[in-house]
Amino acid sequence: MDLIFFKIAVVLYIVSSVNFLVFLLGSSAMNCPVGNWTARLGFACHTLSILHRSFFSGFFPLATPFDVLSVFAWLIIGIYLLAMLRDASPIFGAMVAPTAVVLMIVGATLSYQIKEPIVPILHSWWLPIHVSFALAGNSVFAIMAIVGLMYIFQERLIKKKKLGRTHKLLPSLEILDLVNRRGLPIGFFLMTVGIVSGALWAGSAWGFYWSWDPKETWSLITWFAYAAMVHQRMVLGWRGKKAAIMAIIGFGLVLFTFIGVSVLFSGHHSFRNPVLGTTAS
Amino acid sequence: MSSGLAVIGLNHKTAPVEVREKVTFPSNSEGTLTRHILSTPGVVEAVILSTCNRSEVIVQCSPIEEVSRRVIEAIAAINGVDPVTLRKYSYIKMGSDAVRHVFRVASSLDSMVLGEPQILGQVKDSFKRDSSAGTIGPYLSRLMHRAFFTAKRVRNETGIGLAAVSVAYAAVELAKKILGDLEDKSVLLIGAGEMAELTAKHLIGQVMRPICVTNRTFENACKLADDFSGEALRMEQLSMALAQADIVVSSTGACEPVIKAVDIKNVMKTRKYRPMFLIDIAVPRDIEPEANDIDGVYLYNIDDLQTVVSENLGERMNEALKAEDIVSDEVKKFMDWTKTLDLAPTIVALREKLEKIRCGEISRMNGKLSKLDDNQREILEIITKSIINKIAHDPISFLKKTKSANRKEVNSDIVQKVFNLHGFSTSMDNLEDTFEDEADNRN
Repeated sequence: MDLIFFKIAVVLYIVSSVNFLVFLLGSSAMNCPVGNWTARLGFACHTLSILHRSFFSGFFPLATPFDVLSVFAWLIIGIYLLAMLRDASPIFGAMVAPTAVVLMIVGATLSYQIKEPIVPILHSWWLPIHVSFALAGNSVFAIMAIVGLMYIFQERLIKKKKLGRTHKLLPSLEILDLVNRRGLPIGFFLMTVGIVSGALWAGSAWGFYWSWDPKETWSLITWFAYAAMVHQRMVLGWRGKKAAIMAIIGFGLVLFTFIGVSVLFSGHHSFRNPVLGTTAS
Repeated sequence: MSSGLAVIGLNHKTAPVEVREKVTFPSNSEGTLTRHILSTPGVVEAVILSTCNRSEVIVQCSPIEEVSRRVIEAIAAINGVDPVTLRKYSYIKMGSDAVRHVFRVASSLDSMVLGEPQILGQVKDSFKRDSSAGTIGPYLSRLMHRAFFTAKRVRNETGIGLAAVSVAYAAVELAKKILGDLEDKSVLLIGAGEMAELTAKHLIGQVMRPICVTNRTFENACKLADDFSGEALRMEQLSMALAQADIVVSSTGACEPVIKAVDIKNVMKTRKYRPMFLIDIAVPRDIEPEANDIDGVYLYNIDDLQTVVSENLGERMNEALKAEDIVSDEVKKFMDWTKTLDLAPTIVALREKLEKIRCGEISRMNGKLSKLDDNQREILEIITKSIINKIAHDPISFLKKTKSANRKEVNSDIVQKVFNLHGFSTSMDNLEDTFEDEADNRN
């Protein structure tokens, strides 16, 4: 029963996803109220679930892979709902809601038991700062990648002169590119703070800032990839399709760093290795 | 049933323009002609709808067939046309067909351009005009409001009005899909031509910045630029203009392409890869088709746009099928409502009988009541009226609750027998009260 809110949220997101998808396939009205409302309701339950988890663990709920993925999904939905205040295009919902569902279900299959006692190093205010910034950055990048996919799709349809239903449902190229333009600096900033705060935390906990464990190495690679993107966009004026492709590649790296590295390698970020914080001691 | 709704009129499907242009109900801006129609014997309520493609008279009348004939004659007289000719080109729809027709017209399913949005406004204007002229009673009022509601449902629940069905409008829609908000975008017009000007006119409505015009003969460019209050450029300035413009509409009479793909490629660098929408309306083409392969450049020629338009029309037809279902649904609801009107005579008779008893009893006691002052008398009136209203309430809601027509007749008979209502004739004036009650109940 301890995951009741989480379960309700997943069910609501599934209902919302189905609604959005059915909407895309069938209806021709321009808004999808049921999908939006179930997403909002799901978000509310999800928020309760996260609060409940923090109460349960007695601290910020980011100590297990389950919680991390849950908060990740929560951030993505949150950003979507926030963005929707201005432009309610149901096709965004149709892409965002299923993404959240997948993340949450993957998270639910991973361990959610909080090991007692929590390793002392996790009882630091650096944890929420480091993890929330890193996750928020990832969420922004995730949305940029989703929108990038939509851009490539829409661009292709216009070039091929196939202006059917899908074309009409997808937002304009300008709007899609705008998400990339606005998202890139925000995501890059969040990611940078995430990495720097991680280094500072390591410095205060272990005495050295950077230990080249796989997660750190790969985040640095990802950081460079996004730094390159910022450069191309701001200086060379890359936009549109190129920017969209870069957003997708960049998120590939993010996913690898975020999930792949944790599963493949061990280190003090590892999900496989339960002795968090001990490798570097 | 001999009383009911009739629609008499003609539209682009039934009458050629020579006939349509004669039947336009001129000078009806204050509803005087509608009042004239209303004066036709048998017509109870009337509204006239006249747009460029249709002229219709909607009447609530009794008996329908006979009155419809008289209305046709009245229409012919008003517009000064021969009644025989008019009858030949017009349609008469009655009962639920008439209701369906009105709903379809308001929902733009009967329009020349399927799904065009103006018709609803025109119907609303006619309704407002004739409401203030006093020719609309409770029946037509309800009918028109249901028509507006149906139109709204069709617009919200189907995509009938979404897809552009003219080349110029399709170009504008596409421009929005590529460039987003067009307000701060600039347009370059190369060469003149009817289609190009039409497209430009549509774009001007969306674009805030002045339009640039260029032509081989500079004078022509100046002339066109004046029309659009834009800026005229010489052909030599073309590459500079391309670097500025977001939308290019080209329609020169040149035999060779005016704009080469290489030119565009070079221009894109100076534009910092800002996307560009090129519309090539000329035949032979003005812009090399390879330009479409350049990243950020979207080139459409006249055939591409035509294809878009015909696909959109097909889509509207599909959406229209859904819209017809909505209309059928609303027609059924309206017809159900009209059936409750059959109960009206019973309800009126019941009210009249109770009122008669009340007045009778008060006058019988008049002697004893003479001591009452005005204030007390008024209270007496209020109390007695309230008593009969409360008595009437239950049998009336008993009548209205029934859905099936048969049952309604039986129940109506029961109420008449229980209250011994035979001999209480009903006048049309009182019927209106029942309609209004009905309206109150809904609110």
